[in-house]
Amino acid sequence: MAESPVKVNLPGDAPASPSPEDQKKMEAAYNQMKRKMAISEMGKAIKHKIMVLSGKGGVGKSTVATGLALSLAQQGLKVGLLDIDITGPNVPKMMGLDGRRLNVEAGRIHPAEGHLGVKVISMAFLLEDEDTPVVWRGPIKLGAIQQFIGDVEWGNLDYLIIDFPPGTSDEPLTVAQNLPDIDGMVIVTTPQDVALMDSRKSITFANSLKVDVIGVIENMSGYTIRGKAPAGTELELAAPGGKTIAITADGDGNWSGTLDIFKAGGGEKTAIEFGVPFLGKIPFDPGFVRGGDDGVHRIVSEPEGSSSMAFGKVVAQIQTRVEAESVGSGLEII
Amino acid sequence: MHLTWADGTEHEVTYDDLRHACPCANCGPQRNDDETSLILRRSVEGLPREKPTVRPVGNYALAFEWSTGCSSGIHRFERIWRIGERQDPDNGKSYVHGAW
Repeated sequence: MAESPVKVNLPGDAPASPSPEDQKKMEAAYNQMKRKMAISEMGKAIKHKIMVLSGKGGVGKSTVATGLALSLAQQGLKVGLLDIDITGPNVPKMMGLDGRRLNVEAGRIHPAEGHLGVKVISMAFLLEDEDTPVVWRGPIKLGAIQQFIGDVEWGNLDYLIIDFPPGTSDEPLTVAQNLPDIDGMVIVTTPQDVALMDSRKSITFANSLKVDVIGVIENMSGYTIRGKAPAGTELELAAPGGKTIAITADGDGNWSGTLDIFKAGGGEKTAIEFGVPFLGKIPFDPGFVRGGDDGVHRIVSEPEGSSSMAFGKVVAQIQTRVEAESVGSGLEII
Repeated sequence: MHLTWADGTEHEVTYDDLRHACPCANCGPQRNDDETSLILRRSVEGLPREKPTVRPVGNYALAFEWSTGCSSGIHRFERIWRIGERQDPDNGKSYVHGAW
């Protein structure tokens, strides 16, 4: 079958106007319409919208989403970061915005400004303290997400990065249904089989919603250790999986070796298997843990460091893809 | 409803067929057996004639809002295509709660 209809013609009379008794319903419908208009405007004011997903939890999705936003902002672009992880919102902590509350003026939500001018909206801004859990069923989550999409005053942005909880449930589904002209999804994975299995589900999910998969990022991909030894010293590193890595110290006595803690190459293999682009590897970097806890992301504390460089390469790939492709279904409803 | 698809295919789908094929959690299970499916069909045919408001859902579906009856269903393009082709929109699968 064709991808989607290009024209839907609906003959017949329009429904009769609601009676005055339906005033409340009309008001609710009016508010809903206003939100839809705001969402439509938002579609135009934000050039590129990217969803960051993972099938499995704990793969560093929020770190990657924050890293992508900061890496784009390093280029001088206007960037927004929407943390839609309702039950575990971590982005504000990584962006040095811990303890911020939601800023609402004239019925519109104004984002907080984090490192490098990145505008941030997070569920954490609604919580009284960081230990308070959000205990919401699906429909309430859905309402909150719609508000975060339709009622936030983002202004003009070059990129909006949206961070999700793991999986393929309410949150990404609601955004994919409501936010117009999404450029695509970035799938974050770690190299081990369990994570890859879940990443495959995310790719199938994207295909099912007819949202482009921009590509797969392999996070925590190799941990490089460094040391000093007399020049020319030959060393043997005991690596995971019973492997041995042979290393020789250079002329200055420096040596380094990369340990594949969670295996290697799985992200690329999955991308090839599903025919989607592989965007690159982000190395395992304990600095992300320290930086996340201290509210200073690695890209901010070490803008020239190897992790920043790795993010820069991934971001360049994403930009090439989204800026080359036009979005929109071309659907016309008469 | 007249649909023109990107490949040039054209379909005519009646509002009754569309509403009878509603994929929501309430209407879907009613098509699981012939008797309840017929009851659903009769109830749809008994609704006032009206033009729905239609809105795209993401890149993958359409939703139809009616002033009477059920407006909950999200109709994936594949379903609408099957209705247009006079095929079973449920593709032979009985309704399973939660599956879409």
